[in-house]
Amino acid sequence: MLRYVIRRILMLIGIVFIISVGSFFLIHLLPGNITAVIEGPGASPENQAKLFKLLGLNRPIYEQYFVWIGNILHGNLGTSFISQTPVVTTIGNALPIDLEIMFLSQILAFAVAIPMAMRSARKPDGVIDRFFSAGSFTMLSVPSFIVIILLVLFVSIKLGIPHTGPSSYVSLRGDWIGNLESMALPAITLAVGSFVVYFRVLRSDLIATLQEEFITMARSKGLSQRRIMWRHAFRPSSVALLGAAGVNIGGLLAGGFVVQYLLNIPGLGYTLIAAINTDDYLLVQGIVLVVSVGVVLINFFFDFIINIVDPRISRE
Amino acid sequence: MLELEEMALVERPEKKKPLGPLFWLCVGWIALNIFGAIFANVLPLQNPLYQNYSAINVGPSLHHIFGTDDIGRDIFSRIVYGSRVSIAVGFGSMVIGFGIGAPLGMLAAYRRGRFDTILTTFMYILLAFPAIIATIAVLSFWTPRSVFKIILVIGLASVPLVYRVIRTATLSVATKDYVIAAKVQGAKDRRILMKELLPNIAPIGISFLLIGIATVIALEGTLAFLGLSVTTPTPSWGNMINESRTVLQQNPWLAIFPSLALCLFLLSLNFIGDRLRSHFDVTEVKL
Amino acid sequence: MTDVSEKLLIVEDLSTTFATAGGPLPAVANISFDLGRNETIGIVGESGSGKTVLSRTIMGLQPRTNVSVTGSVLLDGNEMVGASEDFKRRLWGTEVAMVFQDPMTSLNPVMRIGKQIDEALRVRLGMSKQDAKARAIELLELVGIPSPVQRYKAYPGQLSGGMRQRVVIAIALACSPKLLMADEPTTGLDVTIQAQILNLLDELKERLHMSVVLVTHDLGVVATRTSRIVVMYAGRIVEIGATRDVFANHRMPYTRALLESSPKVSNASHTRLITIPGRPPNLLKLTQGCSFAPRCSYATDKCHQERPELQAADQPGHSFACWNPLPTTRGDSAT
Ligand SMILES: Nc1ncnc2c1ncn2[C@@H]1O[C@H](COP(=O)(O)OP(=O)(O)OP(=O)(O)O)[C@@H](O)[C@H]1O
Ligand code: SF4
Ligand SMILES: [Mg+2]
Repeated sequence: MLRYVIRRILMLIGIVFIISVGSFFLIHLLPGNITAVIEGPGASPENQAKLFKLLGLNRPIYEQYFVWIGNILHGNLGTSFISQTPVVTTIGNALPIDLEIMFLSQILAFAVAIPMAMRSARKPDGVIDRFFSAGSFTMLSVPSFIVIILLVLFVSIKLGIPHTGPSSYVSLRGDWIGNLESMALPAITLAVGSFVVYFRVLRSDLIATLQEEFITMARSKGLSQRRIMWRHAFRPSSVALLGAAGVNIGGLLAGGFVVQYLLNIPGLGYTLIAAINTDDYLLVQGIVLVVSVGVVLINFFFDFIINIVDPRISRE
Repeated sequence: MLELEEMALVERPEKKKPLGPLFWLCVGWIALNIFGAIFANVLPLQNPLYQNYSAINVGPSLHHIFGTDDIGRDIFSRIVYGSRVSIAVGFGSMVIGFGIGAPLGMLAAYRRGRFDTILTTFMYILLAFPAIIATIAVLSFWTPRSVFKIILVIGLASVPLVYRVIRTATLSVATKDYVIAAKVQGAKDRRILMKELLPNIAPIGISFLLIGIATVIALEGTLAFLGLSVTTPTPSWGNMINESRTVLQQNPWLAIFPSLALCLFLLSLNFIGDRLRSHFDVTEVKL
Repeated sequence: MTDVSEKLLIVEDLSTTFATAGGPLPAVANISFDLGRNETIGIVGESGSGKTVLSRTIMGLQPRTNVSVTGSVLLDGNEMVGASEDFKRRLWGTEVAMVFQDPMTSLNPVMRIGKQIDEALRVRLGMSKQDAKARAIELLELVGIPSPVQRYKAYPGQLSGGMRQRVVIAIALACSPKLLMADEPTTGLDVTIQAQILNLLDELKERLHMSVVLVTHDLGVVATRTSRIVVMYAGRIVEIGATRDVFANHRMPYTRALLESSPKVSNASHTRLITIPGRPPNLLKLTQGCSFAPRCSYATDKCHQERPELQAADQPGHSFACWNPLPTTRGDSAT
């Protein structure tokens, strides 16, 4: 177990290093006078000089990298020349929103996917299973930006739930009912995309688990179906589910961006797209770095959880 | 969107499932779409860029079977033309992804040893890197955006994934008796790779390719939706849907038709891929 | 009050057929036998002869789909064939329990073994958490697991095959069943452990007043531990009788082949000296003749055309199914 953790951590460090190099070059590969490009048209010479110093442009490129990474390790991602706010502050304001959406959507997705998969797995190829499977297969082909258009079209316009305009996001601190209302659409959209994946993964794994001998053994003890499903089948199958969740939550980011962008939810995705549109390169770089590292950490975290749930893995 | 990340494919040679009529319906649908994309200029379609201000936001009618958009362009012909970008990006990037990833994967699985270890470690590190963010980041900096650049970026980003799938598939074949027998008999590597391995991993490769194309098309749609794909007024399914947002209430057709076109195309690709996979008895395996 | 002389188990004309892609597969056909209280009966046969399917069908534990069961199983007066899952569930664990064949696959790999014993006690007997735990540890001790308090927290993967088999037995014994179906409880274990576990079962049977159905492919195992033996081939009974009669006066060539292939006690390494040539028949392609005919050195034309029914032998309760029975010259131990 310890060796496993150490190996994973070493790998983690390697990946984070590569990500940092990638993000670093993102800016340095820009064509033209870099300071002018970064600050956009009409940059003052004073600002250019500041940036020149921040980036250490007169030094060799590897030194520039170390200066840059040193700053980052001190929590300094630079200050946007567009908004004059430190990148770290902007990210700090946006991040909790992403976390909240992610949390709500995943809870929702699991709450729907798990009972559905259990129902399906009880009679594979039965009427209910065919219906669920065909439905989920179809939904697999609906990208999240279409889901949100449909939701807006058929739900929020009909019900009068706000869906556009900068006012749609209500901070959690102010009024939590308003906050939940404003989070409903984005959370549901992301939940739809996730639940399809979770349902399919859990269903096929449960079907396989339910054929195991230890399930017959549990049956022979006279346990109820419900208990067998939850205590004996779900737990080993949940490993597959967690694995899928790890991959999915990382992959969900693009969908999350779209949803935020469309519904004006000022999370990282929204901020990123806005930064791209205003050529706020330092902010783009900062978000790319934070999100990439976040995804890697999430995968690491899920790997770890899986290890705890399934004592078989770390022993191998 | 990247469900395909957990669909690595492994062979299980037993019974075969019939393909069924729905499969051929999907094949026909894909063929029809490709035909439309290629021959859009020749077909009797209205000019997708012509703005007819006397027919703005009209619903489906005989003259405009899918109606017109908010500046009077014919939606049907925009959808047909729009399929060009989606299809080009979908197929183009997979050509790059498979062109690089597949030979490397086969070679690594066949050779094993140091070559395999180094390459595989490298690819797995790349895999841990969130490809979507990288794609978005690169495309946001690399302006002006063109179909070619998008194909290149997505294509390169898909290489590690293709590599992993093809390598896994090849590994499961390369240890089979007939391949080992061919090796022992002194057959040339090239011959073994082309004659023994390739035909056996082809079904896996093809179904993964189709699902990959669908995934990439959805990704292009997402990028277009974020304003990161080709610039307007070139129609693409994604940017049509994006443009429709502002007039969602007045003219829902504007959103519904391109969405339908995109979803049906993706559904057909996924369905064909899935059927092929179960036909050749390949199981989904979570890696 | 149940009559003590009444049989605990009466199996009559029991058949189990699986619906498979290749057609109906008759895994168990027309089995009849009974079992008294505190009696041990042995079921022997080669791999694939239907022993596991038979013992599961007796319990009503067959898969829930693609299987049809006909005939009758009276377990302590309860009809098991056609009974609802709810009804059977009330008998499982307390009336009848099973020791599963393969201890590697029959324990839940992600659940602590203590929990796997506990849960039957808590769910079926309504014991409190502490009581169940205490009893589980008692059971672990009973089946001879050293330091049961520590083992209680172990996962199956941390135990050896022999230890796991003991855990499986402990689970089966948890609710003190009247009938224990022991499905090859010692396959895959090494010889000393085999003997230990079999002796343990014997001892527990006496202590807990159980009846035992002891399934095995090794006649040596049942020689001293059973009062009667059922010999199965291709899903059918081919010979049945008191243990000594089956050993000394078997009439069916298959039984003899089994006896000869059984590891001799004198042969320390326990390797099989003679194995039965050929393979058991494909159950999907059974002919109308004797299923053993293709492998039988006594086979005649008739054997290929007509199936022999069970017929009574000289000794009471001993019958066999064969057109050309072996002569009874091997000494008349019955009389
Ligand atoms: N669920 C099932 N579906 C279809 N066929 C089955 C099923 N279970 C068992 N069988 C078939 O029934 C036959 C008898 O199998 P069974 O497991 O009872 O043999 P066995 O005597 O216990 O052998 P072993 O000594 O190997 O345990 C086999 O041919 C097997 O393939
Ligand atoms: S009936 Fe014929 S084939 Fe069958 S066991 Fe007897 S002698 Fe052999
Ligand atoms: Mg068996």
